[in-house]
Amino acid sequence: MEGVAMKLPSFKSLAPNAISIGHRSFSRVRRSSSLSVYSAASSSATVATNSESVSLGHRVRKDFRILHQEVNGSKLVYLDSAATSQKPAVVLDALQNYYEFYNSNVHRGIHYLSAKATDEFELARKKVARFINASDSKEIVFTRNATEAINLVAYSWGLLNLKPGDEVILTVAEHHSCIVPWQLVSEKTGAVLKYVMLNEDEVPDIDKLREMISPKTKLVAVHHVSNVLASCLPIEEIVVCAHNVGAKVLVDACQSVPHMVVDVQKLNADFLVASSHKMCGPTGIGFLYGRSDLLQSMPPFLGGGDMISDVFLDHSTYAEPPSRFEAGTPAIGEAIALGAAIDYLSEIGMPKIHEYEVELGKYLYGKLSALPDVRIYGPRPSESVHRGALCSFNVEGLHPTDLATFLDQQHGVAIRSGHHCAQPLHRYLGVNASARASLYFYNTKEDVDSFVVALADTVSFFNSFK
Amino acid sequence: MAAAAMSCAASLRLLPFKPNLFASSVQYPAKALILRPLKPSELPSFRRTIITFQKISTGNVRPPSASPPSSSEDFQPIEELPPELQEIVKLFQSVQEPRAKYRQLIFYGEHLKPLDPQFKTRENKVEGCVSQVWVRAFFDDQRNVVYEADSDSSITKGLAALLVQGLSGRPVPEILRVTPDFALLLGLQQSLSPSRNNGFLNMLKLMQKKALHLEVKGEEDSSSEESLESSFVPTPETNGGVSVVDKDTESKPSFVEDLGAEDSDGGSDVVALGSRGMRIREKLEKELNPVELEVEDVSYQHAGHAAVRGSAGDDGETHFNLRIVSDAFQGKSLVKRHRMIYDLLQEELKNGLHALSIVAKTPAEV
Repeated sequence: MEGVAMKLPSFKSLAPNAISIGHRSFSRVRRSSSLSVYSAASSSATVATNSESVSLGHRVRKDFRILHQEVNGSKLVYLDSAATSQKPAVVLDALQNYYEFYNSNVHRGIHYLSAKATDEFELARKKVARFINASDSKEIVFTRNATEAINLVAYSWGLLNLKPGDEVILTVAEHHSCIVPWQLVSEKTGAVLKYVMLNEDEVPDIDKLREMISPKTKLVAVHHVSNVLASCLPIEEIVVCAHNVGAKVLVDACQSVPHMVVDVQKLNADFLVASSHKMCGPTGIGFLYGRSDLLQSMPPFLGGGDMISDVFLDHSTYAEPPSRFEAGTPAIGEAIALGAAIDYLSEIGMPKIHEYEVELGKYLYGKLSALPDVRIYGPRPSESVHRGALCSFNVEGLHPTDLATFLDQQHGVAIRSGHHCAQPLHRYLGVNASARASLYFYNTKEDVDSFVVALADTVSFFNSFK
Repeated sequence: MAAAAMSCAASLRLLPFKPNLFASSVQYPAKALILRPLKPSELPSFRRTIITFQKISTGNVRPPSASPPSSSEDFQPIEELPPELQEIVKLFQSVQEPRAKYRQLIFYGEHLKPLDPQFKTRENKVEGCVSQVWVRAFFDDQRNVVYEADSDSSITKGLAALLVQGLSGRPVPEILRVTPDFALLLGLQQSLSPSRNNGFLNMLKLMQKKALHLEVKGEEDSSSEESLESSFVPTPETNGGVSVVDKDTESKPSFVEDLGAEDSDGGSDVVALGSRGMRIREKLEKELNPVELEVEDVSYQHAGHAAVRGSAGDDGETHFNLRIVSDAFQGKSLVKRHRMIYDLLQEELKNGLHALSIVAKTPAEV
């Protein structure tokens, strides 16, 4: 497979050292006929001045200072973006800028700094709304992260609306954050949790899901892209089935929003959650998207300042959404920095990012599955099945912890080993733990190559003991 | 004087780290030195002082040679380690190349005496390991601590083996004195931060905690042997007299007694199954006509967590390991096989069966 060559939009800053690989691959791309996907791109690639088409990964690497370091004597190869992403310099600058020039509490003050902070904070909210095509920024509630957002829905909407015998449908592949809150709330309300298992392709069985949906179903809470299986669920279809019986749908979009275009109008979901730190933003901030009428009907989650209208000794009245669900001083700088991350991603363009990751993900899958004794979880990539750019896998006879430790200490390759906050899924698959390599648009083909070489070395090291 | 002192509260003394301190004040049976069982969070911070609660009694306890904790060095000197551990550290120091160190470590692990499955209990499991690690401790007849350990990960097994080899056969105070500093000397880049995921630190802590428990139990036993009778459970390592068994393993009511340890002759599974386990067996036998069938109740491994407590209804039979070899799996993918089994056990899954860990093969694949 040739290097991935992307058409360059008018991207102003192209550092010379970012182009070294792209230079060679560009001419190969021109002549090669196999890259039909990019022939259109390459023909119109004579865009800017002296631009050789470079892969997206190479182009953006200079924006991420953290990637340019050595660990344990080797160059860092960061393949754990599904756990958290790295942040470009503009996001760090935005955070620093906030604290340096206009830090002030929001919503309450009259003075200049406070007004500026409030403006920027609310602007960040608008950016999030636009990013996912919400109809109004009032439908965006800032939370600490996606986990808190799901808990918000569980405790606010769930406690009010779930009655004994009501059913909540999840899949066995959900992240713990989309299992435990429902367990807690169903204990309190008498609702029943039902789980969709996997089918032969190792994705949640949508046929079974359809069968499970009944008039008793009140909520379907599912992931968009799985952080272990890399599979993508047909949310639009699921929403149609759910709405037919009057059930609501919550989408855990943590692994989709950072990597592809997510349009809540198209999906027509009732709730959607995501975390900033997985999409080049800082930790400490995430959001819940909720349809206006739904949020209107929900009681408060946390109580305190900002979410109230009037406070008396014996009772209080509450603010309109989204304020109703934002008690206390928010993570102001972080929200603004999230806005900067969204700007950064939008300037590259989510479709471009997605396209790049599909190719790189396929490359990773291909190289990984070519190694003997490697078992990758989730569906096979194909024309109709696009995997997310990550692979959870196990090597026969080698514990993932050993693998990850050796990769880190001998090769500087950072992957994750464990259950990835998906214990039920691992139990279902019959394993205690797995290793996971996950990519983001700042990874390159060379990263994948380094990883595969390191992995082969690791496997042969441990095999020498057998 | 002695009686009055014994009945009053323990006095707190800050004792500097001196090798001869324990040698002089501890005589076995050590009535003079009573160590309150410490919770893991209370285990001594690994600096040069240990806080002990000392009952002043009839035993002749020499006042500690009180020299102020001076010392320019930050790490525990190698001489204070148990002799075996010193050897191990020196061996690793002599091996420079990191790969060779790993090879050495894994070599240790491979030669670790296997741990009997009956000891792979929750109380013996090291917290905070991404791999599974179990450690077991008991006294030999000289009241030295003997350790056994196991892990499913080679590197962790190697680390466990290091600790087992380095600490086994040593008396309790010597074991308690060991700080994890020596790991730095090994040069294995094992982080020493007490984070949740630090398996090595937690292994050492657990081993020290178990040593402490053995010590405390030993004290209680020698002062009140009658009360021990009721909780005395015959296990292979006890021999009449003062039995100091890791008491925790028998205290959980939802445990399924593993009777298999003593009579491991033939048969594919020797675990006494409860009613659910029997039903599972019957169903699988009837529907899958297996060539081999093992149904193992491992609910005890999960006895702690909330979903299990009080919800199972069937004496806590919530988690099972299944090994099935059957022609029925012919031509079916792994996922399909699992689905078959889940479908067969639907009723159980609805009524408190929590999870299954499944190995499903055809006869040809075995």
